[in-house]
Amino acid sequence: MTLLGSIGSAVFGRWLATTGLIWLALVAISAVAAPLIAPFDPLEINPIERLSEPAPPYLFGTDHFGRDTFSRAVYGARMASIIGCGSVLVALFAGGLCGMLSAYFPQLGHVLMRVVDVLMAFPALLLALVLMTLLERSVINTVIVIGIVYAATTARILYGMTLKLKGEVFVDAAICTGAGHSSVLLRHIFPNLISPLLVQASFVFAFSQLQAAALDFLGLGLPPEVPSWGNMLAEERIYITRAPWLLIFPGALIILTVFSLNLVGDAIRDAIDPRFRGDIAGV
Amino acid sequence: MLRVCNLKTFFRIGAGLFGRKRITVKAVDDVSFEIGEGEVLGLVGESGSGKSTVGRTLTRLEKPTSGKAYFDGQDILKLSARQFRPVRRHVQMIFQDPYASLNPRLSVEATLAEPLRIHGLAGNRSEAREKIGRILERVGLEPEAMKKFPHEFSGGQRQRIGIARVMVLAPRLVIADEAVSALDSSIQAQILNLIGRLQRENNVSMLFISHDLGVVRYVCDRVAVMHRGRIVELGGKSRIFSRPEHEYTKALLGAVPRIPRFDYTGREK
Amino acid sequence: MPLLDVSELEISVHSTGGDIAVVKGVSFQVNKSGTIGIVGESGCGKSLTSLAIMGLLDGSQARTTGGTVRFEGTELLGLTMRERRKIMGNQMSMIFQEPMTSLNPVYRVGDQIAEALRQHRSLTRKAARERAIELLRMVRIPRPDERIDCFPHQLSGGQRQRVMVAIAIACEPKLLIADEPTTALDVTVQKEILGLLRDLQEQTGMAVVLISHDLGVVAETCDFVAIMYRGKIVETGRAEDVFSSVAHPYTRGLLNSIPPVDRDVEVLNEIPGRVPSIEQNVPGCSFHSRCTIAAGICREIDPEFSTVSGKHEVRCHFALGSNNRAE
Repeated sequence: MTLLGSIGSAVFGRWLATTGLIWLALVAISAVAAPLIAPFDPLEINPIERLSEPAPPYLFGTDHFGRDTFSRAVYGARMASIIGCGSVLVALFAGGLCGMLSAYFPQLGHVLMRVVDVLMAFPALLLALVLMTLLERSVINTVIVIGIVYAATTARILYGMTLKLKGEVFVDAAICTGAGHSSVLLRHIFPNLISPLLVQASFVFAFSQLQAAALDFLGLGLPPEVPSWGNMLAEERIYITRAPWLLIFPGALIILTVFSLNLVGDAIRDAIDPRFRGDIAGV
Repeated sequence: MLRVCNLKTFFRIGAGLFGRKRITVKAVDDVSFEIGEGEVLGLVGESGSGKSTVGRTLTRLEKPTSGKAYFDGQDILKLSARQFRPVRRHVQMIFQDPYASLNPRLSVEATLAEPLRIHGLAGNRSEAREKIGRILERVGLEPEAMKKFPHEFSGGQRQRIGIARVMVLAPRLVIADEAVSALDSSIQAQILNLIGRLQRENNVSMLFISHDLGVVRYVCDRVAVMHRGRIVELGGKSRIFSRPEHEYTKALLGAVPRIPRFDYTGREK
Repeated sequence: MPLLDVSELEISVHSTGGDIAVVKGVSFQVNKSGTIGIVGESGCGKSLTSLAIMGLLDGSQARTTGGTVRFEGTELLGLTMRERRKIMGNQMSMIFQEPMTSLNPVYRVGDQIAEALRQHRSLTRKAARERAIELLRMVRIPRPDERIDCFPHQLSGGQRQRVMVAIAIACEPKLLIADEPTTALDVTVQKEILGLLRDLQEQTGMAVVLISHDLGVVAETCDFVAIMYRGKIVETGRAEDVFSSVAHPYTRGLLNSIPPVDRDVEVLNEIPGRVPSIEQNVPGCSFHSRCTIAAGICREIDPEFSTVSGKHEVRCHFALGSNNRAE
């Protein structure tokens, strides 16, 4: 099918989106091959070398425990990918299912969408904070919480798109040939939602990065010993004047990654079905 | 074969900011007609006359407010969704917009295989493929069309696929809702001739819904004229077109632009 | 001097494989108070032609690549937006197919009519309003002094199209371009709108270019017709000449494929096949692949116009001539 082809040409057709894609590829490679790339153990403490400036062998300098910031940043990419992928899975699965079923079965939708409305009434960060205080700090819980936050927006978007598709003539035609609910949903509605879901995935991924960093910064995200970009910011914030590189590098990584994700997301959005272009305007 | 008695389909539309005001739109208001075996009944009217709603109610895409529709003596509006499923095979619908009525993500083969699978009309894949090949040929498409997707076809070809999807089930009643209105006139003639040929060959009964009086005159045996949810005149086509009785029918016929002094070369009856 | 003189107009559209010519050497003239109908199926280039005359091709998708469009002797192609604005809406205006979308839903209809007047006629608010009521009366909207304060959604489709006509004729244009003005309307409403246009024409002497796919509409309203196929005019002439002695096989095919309301037909004569896609380069006569009388020469040489009688011209090697039954 042409879906992959059109996304490919959309992404490579613009140099900005291409740059973004290259950056994301670098992040992904770091995540997968962190132990091979990182010159030091990210957790290894070396008090003699604490707060040293960026210079070989410490490319990004060292923190107040003397840990290599570059190695921690590389492992941070791993955390970023896990949190991103996990949240996307939770948000798209829970939100997508909820939105699709709500639109298809209006009675169910009446109930489900009110729940979604309540969830959306909370500011995203506040909702995450409330949920995190109820749970233990762990990678899984962070993923679940961020996933739930963006499941609500995903559900709203998918609800609207499914309603639109439900009114399409080809859905009527499928019903007329005798297709049942599962067949209409899975064969006729869902395949048309795949490309908008991809766009939504890229935006959820981007926002999950910001959300995770914020939670880490507030000390409610990942456990403090885990090398994540958010945790690095949180731990070193008091050294901002003495050792600014400790904040500049993780901060820049977050910004670059989120920016790249948004660029790629925009490119995919422009490539998809024009019917839905207006529906996905970010999370 | 199909007898529709006092069919009413009303829509309740919420108006006002909080939907407290409710307006009832009487889309179909007490409509009755019959269609015999192998007969084509034309349903003409202007937009908003309720003609499409009649078709959509008979295929159960809309819920009737009251009334009965007997197909082979069985009231199909009373059946549950499950009970209606086997009847669907015999009551099929051709839609207006050939661009919207095909799922863009399904190949022609998948589109045509689905009804066969749902109604258990093909034992296995190769049997289904054979049937699909045969029906494609009958609607005037190459067998290679099977592997293609809707966007690779022109409007006329898509409508042929839409017709194939209906005819592959060998239905006994076909409801054609503005089946040729979206097509250019040279393609429209091809599709009209195709529909006419398939209708005669299979002795299918048909409810042909259209706003185009010329098209209705060409395809139908009898004509019902709808206006504001009601049938204002019903009769044999030669009578309706040569001696219309209702004022509305007369107005409608009078409004059709004609081409003066053109000698027609089609085979006249 | 004709009011509008379109000569050898060429339009290309962008595509991945380079520019494709979609309007190829279209020429026609419209005189004061004349009506020309441009007929063809979708994709024949009739709408692009009208957009090019109005200067609405912005080059992002389609652009004029050649020819001239003269309005009262002034060349329109190549005018700046600023110069063009003086003519557009004032001496030349356009109505479109969709009465639903061509009015802005958030403004009252009176304001939308007044906008054109205030822009070109610098009328006061009060004078513009009075003129707007007068215009609504001219397009036969009942109780115009009340309807002027309606929003578009409060009007029916036919009334909206009347408002569009009112806006178009607000500044008493010398030329009105109507692109499928009645296609979205019911036949009874269509009859009223066409009658309205004809009456306005008699009153004001305005010329009309009517773009339509409907031969019946054109036959009833136009005194001159041009039939387009794949970007070229294939037959043109006075309406009565063209319809009484059809010369091009495509025109004949089109006419034959319309089921008539006034007689029973057993089998419609259809035009076989379909229009080759615009990307396809067809040598010779562009209609030869669907033509029942095509011969070797048709596949090689694209016919030039030949005269049938008077102003009736046709592009066909085997023009059917005055004998209607030549098949």
